[in-house]
Amino acid sequence: MSTSLTSRRAFLGGSLLFVGGIALAACGKDDAVKAGAKVTLEQWYHAYGEAGTQQAVIRYAKEYTKANPDVAIKVNWIAGDYSAKLHSTLLTPQAPDLFEIGDFQYVDVKNGLLAPLDDIIKGQEAEYSKASLDSATADGKLYGLKMMDDAMVLYYRKSVLEKAGIAVPQTFADLAAAAKRLTSREQKGLFVGSDGIGNAAYLLLWSGGGDLLDPEGRKVVFNSPEGVAAISGLKQLHDDKSLLLDFTTDWYDPGAFVQGAAAMQWCGLWAMPAIKKALGDDFGVIAWPKFGDTGQAVSRIGGWFAAVNAKSKHAEEAKKFIEWLWIKQADLQKDWCVSYGFHVPSRKSVAARTTEFGSGPAKDAADVLANTGRAYPNLWNTTMDSAFAQAVLKIAKSGGDARSLLDEAAAKAQAELDKQLA
Amino acid sequence: MSDTATTGQTAAAARPAGVRPGRRGRPTDWRAVGAFAVLTAPTVLGLGLFKYVAIGWSFLLSFSEARGTVDLGSWVGFDNYTFLLGDEAFRSSMTGVILFTIFIVPVTFGISLGLAVLLHGMRRGRAFFRTGFLIPAAVSYVVAALIWKMSLFNGLPSGVANTIGGLFGWDVQSWIASTDPPLYWIVIITVRLWLQVGLYMILFLAGLQAIPVHLYEAAALDGASRWARFRHITLPMLRNTSVAILMLILIAAFQAFDEFYNVFMTTTGNSTAPVRPPLVFLYDTALKGQDYGVGSAGAFLLTLLIVLVTLLQGRLVGFGRKD
Amino acid sequence: MRKTTRRTPATVLTYLVVGVAAVLFLAPFYFMLRAALMTGTQVTDPDWHWLPDPFTLRGFTDLFDDPSVPMAGALGNSFVIAIVTAPVSTLLGSMSGYALARISVPGRGVVMSFIVVTLMIPTSATFVPTFVLVSAMGGVDTLWGVIVPGLFNAFSVLLFRNFYLKFPQEIEEAGRLDGLGHLGVYWRLALPNSGALLASLGTLSFIESWNAFLWPLVIGQDPESWTAQIALSTFLTSQSINLPALFAGAVVTILPLVVVFLFAQRHIVQGIAATGMKD
Repeated sequence: MSTSLTSRRAFLGGSLLFVGGIALAACGKDDAVKAGAKVTLEQWYHAYGEAGTQQAVIRYAKEYTKANPDVAIKVNWIAGDYSAKLHSTLLTPQAPDLFEIGDFQYVDVKNGLLAPLDDIIKGQEAEYSKASLDSATADGKLYGLKMMDDAMVLYYRKSVLEKAGIAVPQTFADLAAAAKRLTSREQKGLFVGSDGIGNAAYLLLWSGGGDLLDPEGRKVVFNSPEGVAAISGLKQLHDDKSLLLDFTTDWYDPGAFVQGAAAMQWCGLWAMPAIKKALGDDFGVIAWPKFGDTGQAVSRIGGWFAAVNAKSKHAEEAKKFIEWLWIKQADLQKDWCVSYGFHVPSRKSVAARTTEFGSGPAKDAADVLANTGRAYPNLWNTTMDSAFAQAVLKIAKSGGDARSLLDEAAAKAQAELDKQLA
Repeated sequence: MSDTATTGQTAAAARPAGVRPGRRGRPTDWRAVGAFAVLTAPTVLGLGLFKYVAIGWSFLLSFSEARGTVDLGSWVGFDNYTFLLGDEAFRSSMTGVILFTIFIVPVTFGISLGLAVLLHGMRRGRAFFRTGFLIPAAVSYVVAALIWKMSLFNGLPSGVANTIGGLFGWDVQSWIASTDPPLYWIVIITVRLWLQVGLYMILFLAGLQAIPVHLYEAAALDGASRWARFRHITLPMLRNTSVAILMLILIAAFQAFDEFYNVFMTTTGNSTAPVRPPLVFLYDTALKGQDYGVGSAGAFLLTLLIVLVTLLQGRLVGFGRKD
Repeated sequence: MRKTTRRTPATVLTYLVVGVAAVLFLAPFYFMLRAALMTGTQVTDPDWHWLPDPFTLRGFTDLFDDPSVPMAGALGNSFVIAIVTAPVSTLLGSMSGYALARISVPGRGVVMSFIVVTLMIPTSATFVPTFVLVSAMGGVDTLWGVIVPGLFNAFSVLLFRNFYLKFPQEIEEAGRLDGLGHLGVYWRLALPNSGALLASLGTLSFIESWNAFLWPLVIGQDPESWTAQIALSTFLTSQSINLPALFAGAVVTILPLVVVFLFAQRHIVQGIAATGMKD
């Protein structure tokens, strides 16, 4: 057969050399990390999309080491499913010392993953919005420092609406009618996400006067009559075929809006620089309009929190670092918010200095956020979200009975909530 | 084990030429045991650690309340199992994967076998076509999902499927997001076929090449039709190959993850996916929902299903009869 | 069968069916290349363009210029992982396969079952504990952490076992007469005569480890330890997608494998024919 003795030797020898080489390389890497500063903190970020963000956080870390030579910070930029990877790594000895969290979840506190940050935020409370503090507060303690506020709002093409003689939608009925009118073969009226759901179910629920949990956070209430009625609105949009579906990018990317595939799109403030570059002044932003007369307009407040691993050996050093970066360094916070993407600084004093939000659609968006911004309650977790989303999917796309599907999902979510509170 | 391993090694290395005691008939041949141990030790230890220790741990977790932790200790008996069996989402995930399997197994099998038979009967260009069918097998699910989602089946008029549909005057379709009719099955099934058919076809080709030509010649002399030759020579001669391939397709189908995950993934994960096969469901439960107890219990229910179906298939087609 | 192959209608039909199937199988590659060589706006242009116009390599330059996606390093990692995994896992499979086929010892059946049973265990059942295990050994962010758990493959053990069951008894006996023990027969006679199967399973293992997604995703968190698949999926999930660069990424990720395949497919066919996958 084809392989002779010598080539087999070479083949095996080569592979052994490779294995050895890798073992050596792995050792070398460990040593390099240990050298230098006395303490090396490992910090995790999810992979931001905007160019320059990764370089920026590495620069911030280096500046801190310059001021505090004993502490070095190793930044890890995590691609893919951030939350799943963070939580699985927190179970291991390789857990990062500090990290960021998107949607704050009570279960992390309950599981003892997070270190309380009350001592570093003391006296700073007035700087943050109530929503930001509430999200990260559990059992009376604060566990996350808001790094920036993301506004999610409804973008519309001014020229397209004008040409069709459509006024800016004030109610959901207006929105649905406008979306239907603006739909043609080349362009759909509205883009809420490639799956046709995105955030829309939450927005409808809130805009109809419903909510996910009661104010005390003890009871799941999304199956209230208002909730059922409002969430059914999504079915109307699907039945009208006025939603853009299966676009190449999802709702958080402005692609569909910029390319004219949709006349209106639910998207984040972060996309505004790209939209401005492509469309100039030909766009405006509003909140998601109210559902019916009793409802209210809503927008989503998002953003990321800096948090410290409670089990880290260097939790104190990590706290000092985030205090330095996210409380004391106003210039870096501003740089972070507006130099790469576009976010509202979470600290009011920094936001006031950030002139980018002084006029035009950026100001409109900041105002919308301040007046109508809603966040998920921190007791709302992935399992509850999954139950809710599956019910919405069946209501919106398969014509399932909204009432019974939401009741069923609420029962499941309630069981999960009870387990969480137990 | 390490003792015998050393003995085996020494025996092989310091083997004095010509001096070899007769071994047959001895109750235990320690040299053979040593050699056996040396050769199998790495695999046995590796699988022992990365499969058995891991699965043992997971098994214990399935009887624990393990939310946000993989530590054992908080025993809950069969709670995790009863929870899952009562959970509509898990049941529909199981029925979903069974439907998927019932469909994908015969289709993959049929196309692979069909192409192999056609190629085998070709005189010219066989190597060319074989290469053509085999190349997709080198592509990863990430890349395939990317091409399918972003190019072939995107919901834009410029999408390949919609462009072709446009030639027939069809409306622009959203292939992944629409559930009524469930067009997403076309996307999911074609990805898997594209990636898998080539490899199974090669396995069939190897089987076909091993069938002695004289059997066909004799049958042709007897005036047997093409179909009769296929039915009475090809199929029976391919029995072992077919059984092995069926089992591979079957196990792969039950463990489907990559294409479902990549095609339906949005920022919020897979919660709005119209169909979540068990592995996606378990990934969501364990890694996203941080419930390792329920996640592990689900993994065992799935394992049980796979083992049952494999055994059933073995019964039906007589796998292992030879051994 | 072959003797009857002439330009009969059946032959024409065969070529027609196979030809159409081949076009379907190869078309996705064309769509991928087409999108990789276009400008971003042309990819989503509702008017169909068969060929990129203008033809541009911007997708490829964008791909390698993007500092947040270290594509070159990721390709290097994938290469190292695959080039180690392929020979080592194949050799380990061959060792166990030989022992199971040719060395008769008490308890062999137990070892056989021990190995085969792992075929039925779904990856998800062991995924989390394996991660915790490897991480406890310090394997996070290291190449060995990606490689080692993937070296043990029950399927290749089975194929090798089937192959060695048919290894001629005469060769083994000749070796015995020359004074070779079990290990000697394996190392000097059996292994050198397993070239085709080694090559075919080695190639398959190369492909599998090159294409692996979930495990490297979890274990390799630092961008320095990303594989090509992970770098590509970063692109897919990033906030603004550069479509030509994304498809260019797909092209460079599969190119090495296509090359390997074109050279190795003969071995794959021969190797598989050499196992027990036939009667």
